[in-house]
Amino acid sequence: MSKRRSDWQTRPQARIRKWFQQGFTALDDEIINQISQQTIQQPEVSQMMEAQREAMDTRRYERSLALERLERHELQAWVRTRGRKAIGRVYVALALAMAVLMIFFLLETVAHMPRFGDPNAPVTNEVTERYITRGVEETGAVNIVAGMILDYRAFDTLGESTVLFIAASAVLILLRIDRRKDGTPVQELIAAESDDRHYEPRADRILQGSVMVLTPIILLFGIYIILNGHLSPGGGFSGGAIISAGLILYLDAFGFDKAGRFFTYKTFAWVSFFSLSFYALAKAYSFYMGANGLPSGIPLGTPGAILSGGLIMPLNIAVGMVVSCTMYIFYALFRKGGL
Amino acid sequence: MLDWLRFILTTGLLASGLTILITSVIGVYKFDYVLNRMHAAAMGDTLGVLFCLLGLTVSAPDIWTALKLLLIIVFLWFASPVSSHLVARLEVTINPNWHQLPLKPEHLMEEDT
Repeated sequence: MSKRRSDWQTRPQARIRKWFQQGFTALDDEIINQISQQTIQQPEVSQMMEAQREAMDTRRYERSLALERLERHELQAWVRTRGRKAIGRVYVALALAMAVLMIFFLLETVAHMPRFGDPNAPVTNEVTERYITRGVEETGAVNIVAGMILDYRAFDTLGESTVLFIAASAVLILLRIDRRKDGTPVQELIAAESDDRHYEPRADRILQGSVMVLTPIILLFGIYIILNGHLSPGGGFSGGAIISAGLILYLDAFGFDKAGRFFTYKTFAWVSFFSLSFYALAKAYSFYMGANGLPSGIPLGTPGAILSGGLIMPLNIAVGMVVSCTMYIFYALFRKGGL
Repeated sequence: MLDWLRFILTTGLLASGLTILITSVIGVYKFDYVLNRMHAAAMGDTLGVLFCLLGLTVSAPDIWTALKLLLIIVFLWFASPVSSHLVARLEVTINPNWHQLPLKPEHLMEEDT
């Protein structure tokens, strides 16, 4: 309460009133002290009025706070009892329906597939040959693996990236130690932080010096591997892993305070969201146009050039961002239970 | 002639590097205490890897591969001593008896602590 009280005293209206009553120099604290030491006589009546007004304002403010608290309490009580139950029931019903639907679709697909070991199945004759013979011409990527995983089988890769994101979310739910609502840390978090301070190298000059040299090189190398994914071995997954290794090295050397300046939960959420949705939208467009026999309008470029392969390079970038964020947040959560 | 020279150089460098690596592996399994084992491991990480990669550099087909291998050597010589330093620092932080030399079995930290 005392903190709020002082906030309320120093709000602009109060300061302006003080300024009017005490003269122009009263805003400066040191001058206020000097004046009070010189014991300037204030008129008795205005002090009384000021005290009354302050008391009234305080009472009004406290009443509004109490009302607010009551409303919040009622809402919380509703959520805790009936609301949670209702939401839980809907959630279970939806999850069951989704699971049944998914099982139905998968079984339906399996029923249409050729028998296992069938010599006439397309997987044993056409597909592999087509990848090798016409891969470069159709995808524009010299690296045939990139052409496969990001063009022919891009849907599968979207699933892999989403699995990474879901795994990060699950680890976040299980391992994250929340603060209390007013921002003070719980006992568990204090214990985790003291453990961390004890066992991890904090402010190690040798490590910091070498990290200053190594981290930019590691990040550049990761970016090179991502951007060169359609030309040479590599791609989003390996490049993202290298970038996250660089970030983890930086975190080890400089601690959570400095790393938190550029990487927070918000960064993780936005980067993952934008990368995955960009991937899904771009590939949905390309699949839709391709399935209907329309030109997609994305130039494939000359194979071997850096700007070639159509959508493969942007998709590599998206995958790399998701992978690096996921690995970094895994490390932070397993180490301290938070960012 | 030049090919033979290159072959002999490569073989010699690789052989010496592998010898150092094997020595360091034996040392890691032979010693008991962290700091002693770290000494053996760091030797293999720096000198052994240096000789192996120099051998590969000599036998590299073109100049760019050789330069990349040299960059890998630079990277490893940056990273390996720093990680050794961190291991030593961790040991000094958590073992209160680390400075009592010569080390006796009762000074070693228990496995489960």
